[in-house]
Order: sequence, then C-alpha cells, then structure tokens
Amino acid sequence: MLDSAMAALASLADPSLLIMLLIGTVAGLVMGLIPGLGGTGAVAILLPITFGMEPPQALALLIGALAVVHTSDTVSAVLLGAPGSASASVTMLDGYSMAKKGEAARALTLAFLSSMAGGIIGAIGLTLAIPLARPLVLSFASPELFMLTVLGVALAAVLSRGNIIKGVSAGLLGLVLGMVGTSPTTAEERFTFGSLFLGDGLSLVAVALGIFGLAEIASRASQRRGQKETISLGGGWGRGIREWLSHWTQVIRGALIGIWAGVLPGVGATAGTWLAYGQAVATAKDKRKFGKGDPRGIVGPESANNSVEAGDLIPTLLFGIPGGVPSAMLLGMLLTYGIQPGPSIITEHLDLMYLIVWSFAIASILGALFCFLSVKQLAKLTKVPFAVLAAGLVAVMLLGSFQEGGQLGDLWIMIILGVFGWLLKSTGFPRAPFLIGFVLAIPLERYYFLTDSLYEGFDWMLRPGVLVFLAILVLPIIWAFIKFIRARRKTNFDDGHRDEQPEDDEAPLKNSNWSLVAAGIFTAAFAAALISSTSFSPEARLVPQLVSIGGLVFSGILLFTEIRTRLRARTEGAGWTLDAGFAFKTFAWMTGFLALTAVFGYLIAVTIFIPAFLLVVARARLKVAVIYTGVLYLVLLALPSLLPIDLPQGWFNTLV
Amino acid sequence: MTVLVAYAPASEGREALSEGIKEAHLRKSDLLIVNIGRGHHDLEPEEVRGLETRLAEAGLGLTIESSVLSDPGDAVIQIAQDRNVDMIVIGLRHRSMVGKLILGSTVQRILLDATCPVLAVRSDKL
Repeated sequence: MLDSAMAALASLADPSLLIMLLIGTVAGLVMGLIPGLGGTGAVAILLPITFGMEPPQALALLIGALAVVHTSDTVSAVLLGAPGSASASVTMLDGYSMAKKGEAARALTLAFLSSMAGGIIGAIGLTLAIPLARPLVLSFASPELFMLTVLGVALAAVLSRGNIIKGVSAGLLGLVLGMVGTSPTTAEERFTFGSLFLGDGLSLVAVALGIFGLAEIASRASQRRGQKETISLGGGWGRGIREWLSHWTQVIRGALIGIWAGVLPGVGATAGTWLAYGQAVATAKDKRKFGKGDPRGIVGPESANNSVEAGDLIPTLLFGIPGGVPSAMLLGMLLTYGIQPGPSIITEHLDLMYLIVWSFAIASILGALFCFLSVKQLAKLTKVPFAVLAAGLVAVMLLGSFQEGGQLGDLWIMIILGVFGWLLKSTGFPRAPFLIGFVLAIPLERYYFLTDSLYEGFDWMLRPGVLVFLAILVLPIIWAFIKFIRARRKTNFDDGHRDEQPEDDEAPLKNSNWSLVAAGIFTAAFAAALISSTSFSPEARLVPQLVSIGGLVFSGILLFTEIRTRLRARTEGAGWTLDAGFAFKTFAWMTGFLALTAVFGYLIAVTIFIPAFLLVVARARLKVAVIYTGVLYLVLLALPSLLPIDLPQGWFNTLV
Repeated sequence: MTVLVAYAPASEGREALSEGIKEAHLRKSDLLIVNIGRGHHDLEPEEVRGLETRLAEAGLGLTIESSVLSDPGDAVIQIAQDRNVDMIVIGLRHRSMVGKLILGSTVQRILLDATCPVLAVRSDKL
C-alpha cells in the first residue's frame, strides 16, 4: 500500500503531470473567483480538454482545479462582500466584517491557510479511507453495488436542501434522462425518437454545463455593474498567521465536518460550511464576535469547504456513488476511460487513487501559495462585472460541450437543459440529485440485471450488505418524516436548528405559477417516458418503467400540492418578473449564438456574438468589446493546434 | 438592566413573554425580545405596540433584536452576551430523552451555554 503511494508520488515528478497539475490549479483559482461556477463549473469546463489525454494527466488537471476552487472563492467574499460561491457566503459573515475594519489581510490569511489545511486533511482522510474501506469494498458483489447506486440517488435526493419530494422527482428525472440511448442489457435504443446522435446517450458535459453552467449565467447576467468600492487589503498578515495557529483545533474540526459532509451524497460544500460554522459558534464560550469578525468564524468553514471536495471523492472512488456534483462528473470521466470505481479501482488502479490523493494535497498547498502571491491581482479580477464574463463563458461552455461527441445537437440540448436548470434553480428544486441520477442511471440498470441473473428471486435482498444499505436508505426518510410531522404540529420550536442553514432567496419563484409549470413538466416527462417505454422489449422496459412510475407518483404529489397552494393563495405569485425576463433574454442570446454557429461556424459566430453581447447586454465600452473579441478570437484560433479541440463547423463551411 | 425573552409563536413562547414582562416590571429593567420561531412568525405589530406603551408607562423600554446566527440557541446567547443582559427568560415543554438526543433541544443549549441567569417557565403547569 505504501509502495503504491510512493510510486504515485514519484510519478508526479513527471513533467507532463506536474504541468497539468499547475494548469489545473491556476484554472481552479480563476474559476473560483467567478460567481456561480464553483467546483461544478470548473470540472465541467475542464473536462472537455481532457478527452484526448491519458487518465493520470486528466486526473491531475481536474483534481488540481477541484482542490483549490474553494480557496480563491473567499477573495470576493472578503473584499466585496459578494461571495464567489454559495459556500463562501459563510466566510463573508466574519471575513467581510473584518475587511470593513481594515483587516482584510488578516481575514484572507486565515482563509487561505485554513483552506490549505482543509485540503491536506481531506487528502489524508481520503488516504485513510482506502485501507479502511478496502475489505468492505472487496466483499461487495452486484447486489451491494446495485443497492449502492440506489442509495446514491436516494440519499442525494433526501439530503439535498429543500423539499424531499422535489429532490426525489429531480433524481428520478435524472435517471430517466440517463437512460436515453442504448440499453445496457438488450442493446436497443431507448427514448431516442429515431435520432442517431441520441443513440449514444446525452453528453455528460452538455447536461452538467446546461443544468448548472448556463442556468447560473442566465440568472446572474443581469449584473451589469461591477463592484465599485473595494476594500484595501490592509495589514494583519502576521496576526492572521498567529491566530490561525492558535485555532488549530477549529481547523481540524472544520475539516472533519467537511469530510463527513462530503461523504454524504447530496450534502455539498454549502451545507458543510454552514455545519462547520454552527460548530464553531456552538463550541465557543464567548459568542459576541461572531458575525462581526471572529477568526473562528473563518477558520472552521474555510477548512471545511476544501475538505468537502476530498470527502466527496471517498464514496465516488471507493463505492462508485458520487458524493457531489463535481465528483459525479469525475465518475463519468473515469467510466469513459473504462476505469470502474468501486472494487476494481482498489485492485487494478490503486496508483490512480494515490495520484488523486497527492494531487489534491499538492494543489491545496500550491493554491494557497498562489493566492498569497497574487491576492492583489485576484482582487482586481473580482471587480469585472458578471455580464462581461458571461459573454466569454457562454462561448467557452458551448465549445466545451461540443467536444464530447462533436455534435451540434448536444449544444441544442445543453441550451434546453439550461432553461430547465434555471427553472429548477428558481423554483427551489435541488439540481444535484438530477445530475447524480443522470450519471448513475446506466450503472444502476446494469447492476440490477447482473443481480437478477445471478440470484434467484429476491434472495439477494437477504445478503447482509444489502440489508444494511436498506436500513441506511430508510432511516433518513423516517427522520425527514418525523421532522415534517413535528413542523406540521408546530411542536418543533425547541428542536435543534444547527444543521440548517438560514433561509436564502435562492429560489425567488417558489410557490408561483413557475413552480406549477415545473411540476407540470416533471409529470409530463414521466408520463411520456412511461408511454414510450411500452414499446421496448420486456428487459429494456423494466427499469425505465419502474423509475417513471415512481416519478409519476412523486411529481403527481408535487403537482397536486402546487395546484392546491395556487388555488388557496389569494394574491398572484411572482409572475413574469424582471429577473425571469432577463434570464429568458440571455437564453435567447445563447440560442442566437448557436444558430449563428450552425450557419457560419463557431469562429465567425464568436466574432458576431461577443461584441454584440458586450455592447447590448453588458453595456461595455466599445474599446473593451473590441479587445475582448480580438483576444478571444486569437486564442480560439490557436486552441485547436495546442489542445485536442475541434471548433464546430457551420453549414456555410461545408459549402466552401 | 435588561431582561431577554426568547419568544416563539407557541404556548411556551407566550408564557415566557408574560413572565418576562413581569420580571421586567419587578426589576425595573428594559425588555429585549429575540424571536426563535422558525420562519417569519414574529409578534404582530399591534401586539408589539401595545406592549411598548404598557412598558413605557412604567418607564421601561422595549427592543426586538435578531442575530446573523441561524441557530436560535446561539442567537439568544450571542445577543445576551452582547447586550450584557441580566436574565434570559425561556419557555419549555416536556421533551423525551430520545427526542432531545436525536433532534436536539434549543432550550437545553441555552441553559447550558448561557453566561447569565436563566429563568425557565413551563407552560403546561399542574
């Protein structure tokens, strides 16, 4: 075990791996600064670049980025009071107050050092998990693996924030979407409607970038103005280091909470950091300074949000169930390389496991170092208005999702899913279970049929491992049900709230006609899936039918409650709000860009779309627009010769 | 001199409030209300105005405060420490051991973490 760990470290001396790790780290830091991208965006944008690479290089790049996204997202939270990601909003509470008192450097020192420590402790946790889980994982057969995939989707659905029924519906719809394409058992095409390119299934990058990336851009593109006032860094570097050292217990506690939050599917960085903050407050005797610049309020959460990403990797690599959205994409990537997480990664690809661990730890250190060195430049970057960034991001995301299949159809699907993702986000549906369901759909079906053919009847249900997983599956449901009943009876005032984060206005269109439409779309999609699956052979039909019947039940409940609240509500809910209008306008711009690409090819489309978007939507100055477009054009022109990337060709190009 | 009342829109909370008002009159101190209910079920504005005039007659002030901390127990303790209050008044009801273990108890946490005297009132008296 130690040999393979050392061998993995030695392999990192390979310049190509080191360079990838460095590139990944820098890319991760930059993407951490962009609001809304986070780990999901970072992995989704970098994933297409890795398609031509060997697995070690690809992993070094992606892990490098994933490890440091939460290191740099603190900068804007502290300096501007505008967090780069949802999880950094915790740091904002105390970090921004410190910055307002002229101690931004102190807050940033605490944050960077804690992020680094969180990353390293997370990597240690991942290392320790390998020998601990090894005997367990090796005892798994297909029934356990099947139960694990079910558990992955179910826990993600139950533990995600908000309504459980919404979570389960989203998870089931993700499963249905994941089954588009060729059936793993009978090799017949499902839900393809005779289309050829759907036969390979939907592209993971397109789905992830649509549901998360484009949806995020649409809901934020209205931010035209960058933050004007920035707080100067001030002093306090030395004080920050001393305080960090004196609060080492909080660092470790935060990191452990983060790992735990990461291991649980669906509990991501955001919930993990709030848990860590709650712990920091709970264990402090003097609570006066919290929210007004208490170092303990920065140290714990910052350490937690980096270790969450390492914790996410534990179930992903060892059990094959992703702990979060970024690791779900990593899982998808490993599957395309033919590396099956779970028992086989422990026996055959142990070197890759240790490579991930080392990359994570080294990237955490590098990330903190880079942040210290370039904090002034990073602070400037946070002042760029989001609308200006959005133009480039749309171009990059569309290019990214083109790489997997080289089909323009993927891009259309991406935009449609972008609209859907925006609807989910604004009406309070968790999106993590959707993507986790999408990734796990095919493994789930495959393990089910393996189990079914190896065991007679329901004998497999009596295997001890399966029984344990069933218990794990049922407990959170009972728990949630008890909480629901207590809330209904209003006897829950005394219950602890520490595991809950404050209500935020992330879902402005909840309980409006929009959420009614969302519930309607869910119900219609499940009904359509059920009807069209009747034409499949019995083998190919079973799992899709089970999933869509389950989905119909849940989305039916959802539709019923939505209709009831709409009927009861006297006042009209949020109708066509300003933000919704802006989001749809942004989607229209994206559609226009794609249409241009389809006709004239990608490069020409970029030269039209970028300046137009910058001038009209972002209202940038002409000079900015010209330079922006010029630089992007040159980079895109050079890109295919540097990286294995294809630019989409248009109908026009085929004529010439 | 201040008395802090942890108010929730339930019988415990109302009991705590009435007991807190008595205590404020007795100690001739101001009243500070912290809402610990879930969601936004604060006191009704008319109720607050009525309370304010009643206290003002005795020369006492009323403030309602909230904290950035999401956990109500932590919020009560933080405000109590910050305002240097003399006493916290909370209402409680019976909770089973298992219930407290699994779901946690805000009241218990306030009792254990408070750095000032706590007056605990039961609404389901004999």
